Amino acid sequence: MNRRKIRDGAFLTLLWASGLFMLFVLASVLIYLLQRGGRFISREFILGTPGGFPLGSEGGILPAIQGTLMLVFLALCFSVVPALITAIFLSEYGRNTRFAHIINLLVQSMAGIPSIITGLFVYALCVVEMGWGICLLAGGLALGIMIFPVITVSCRDALMAVNDDYRLSAESLGASRSYTLRRIILPQATTGILSGILLGMGYAAGATAPIMVTAAAIMARSPGNLFEPIMALPYHLYILFNEHISMDQAYATALVLVLLLLLLNSIALWLNRQQERKQYR
Amino acid sequence: MNSISINKFSTWYNKQPILKGINLELSSHSITAIVGPSGCGKTTLLRSINRTAEIEKGFRYDGGIQVFGRPIYQSHDVSAVRRKVGMVYQTPVALPLSIKENVLFGPRYYGTADRFEQDKIVEECLQRVALWNEVKDRLNHSAGQLSGGQKQRLAIARVLAVNPQVLLLDEPCSSLDPSSTRLIEELLVQLAGELCVIIVTHNLFQARRIAREAVFMLNGEVIEQGLTDILFTAAKREETRSFFTGDMG
Repeated sequence: MNRRKIRDGAFLTLLWASGLFMLFVLASVLIYLLQRGGRFISREFILGTPGGFPLGSEGGILPAIQGTLMLVFLALCFSVVPALITAIFLSEYGRNTRFAHIINLLVQSMAGIPSIITGLFVYALCVVEMGWGICLLAGGLALGIMIFPVITVSCRDALMAVNDDYRLSAESLGASRSYTLRRIILPQATTGILSGILLGMGYAAGATAPIMVTAAAIMARSPGNLFEPIMALPYHLYILFNEHISMDQAYATALVLVLLLLLLNSIALWLNRQQERKQYR
Repeated sequence: MNSISINKFSTWYNKQPILKGINLELSSHSITAIVGPSGCGKTTLLRSINRTAEIEKGFRYDGGIQVFGRPIYQSHDVSAVRRKVGMVYQTPVALPLSIKENVLFGPRYYGTADRFEQDKIVEECLQRVALWNEVKDRLNHSAGQLSGGQKQRLAIARVLAVNPQVLLLDEPCSSLDPSSTRLIEELLVQLAGELCVIIVTHNLFQARRIAREAVFMLNGEVIEQGLTDILFTAAKREETRSFFTGDMG
């Protein structure tokens, strides 16, 4: 009896310790970035363009912020609708069918493709073969392909998590699946779907490899055209570090990237709360 | 008058036989109880009558079921069959909508768009399940806050809202307390004046309290059918007697 209690206690301590450890890691990253990069963040840094010699050692990162936002937006355009449709098929229409098993397998395999391979694929197909050149659109497409399985899987799981009794009750009233989907299942799954999209957004905003070969340039103007190269935060960061251009600028850029992701997440969480509140009205 | 006639009806799930050549005539305007030990096919029989059994994968059937003279398995309009034959399940289910929208879930689907008409349906159906007085001031609140018994009455109201001719209930009181159970039983007795009510129950006393007729099933077959009192006191078959006296099941 006593030994069992000790084992329980040890296990609980382990759970707490690992939770606190993750929190500690997260907090350390943020604090470190704030310490190293915080004081370089200013109005000019956010709203300026890179300058100095070597390029990027002074000035701001506005084009990179805009580029990353545009890339994430395009990635969502390419991925959300197909992912949602796939997820609806997997959870509502094709559940337990052989075709759905195959699709599931394909989606899992897609998730396993290294992002640089996705980037090279889009590079070969769009940048070279179709003649788009290094450009925003190609980067958005590469990121879209990359986050498609992430969004699909989380949307599928969110839909599948909705109580099956609802489906049965609705179906035995004679209601069609699409009606039940619209009235019950989708509203119930919205939170999960949103968080899946967010996960994808974060993933897309932070990815460097796929845009390296498809969209990013060391220096570019603010994005204005789908067929021009752009700057992006993670790539800019990579260049600043890798070429030893300016560590201060690099830390400040990293901080902006992390804050941007935090902001995206907060907005989506807030949206979720609004959604939950209005659900029963 | 017989509302439902079941003719040599057999079903299989993945080749495993569940119902074996069921022949049954069920009368309208009364309550019929289907009783029998667990796994005897009661629920499958019930779900076959509103064609929800076939949602499960691997379902196969043979024979036919007629509801008010219409062979339901020949119909291509499954939705119409399910509308006419309502079904209430063991677990009380409140859809994640307001109380009002729970009742209107079916009518909205079938095209009732008029506000006045909708309000009428909501009040009428909630009155019929004796829930109106309890919820009339919070029709727009979440139905999730209702108690188990209230949810079950709401589930019945949701079915009534699409004007069924038959009401099937699969152990509707098995998760409810005695007072909620009594409310539902009273309600079913009232509803039996207007439609055909068929209830699967594990509670023999419940069957005796409310059902005029009872059907005893065993291993996918109908063993005996008759007036409930007769089955309790003077069953013809040995199996029925031993089940009703508590020696089996």
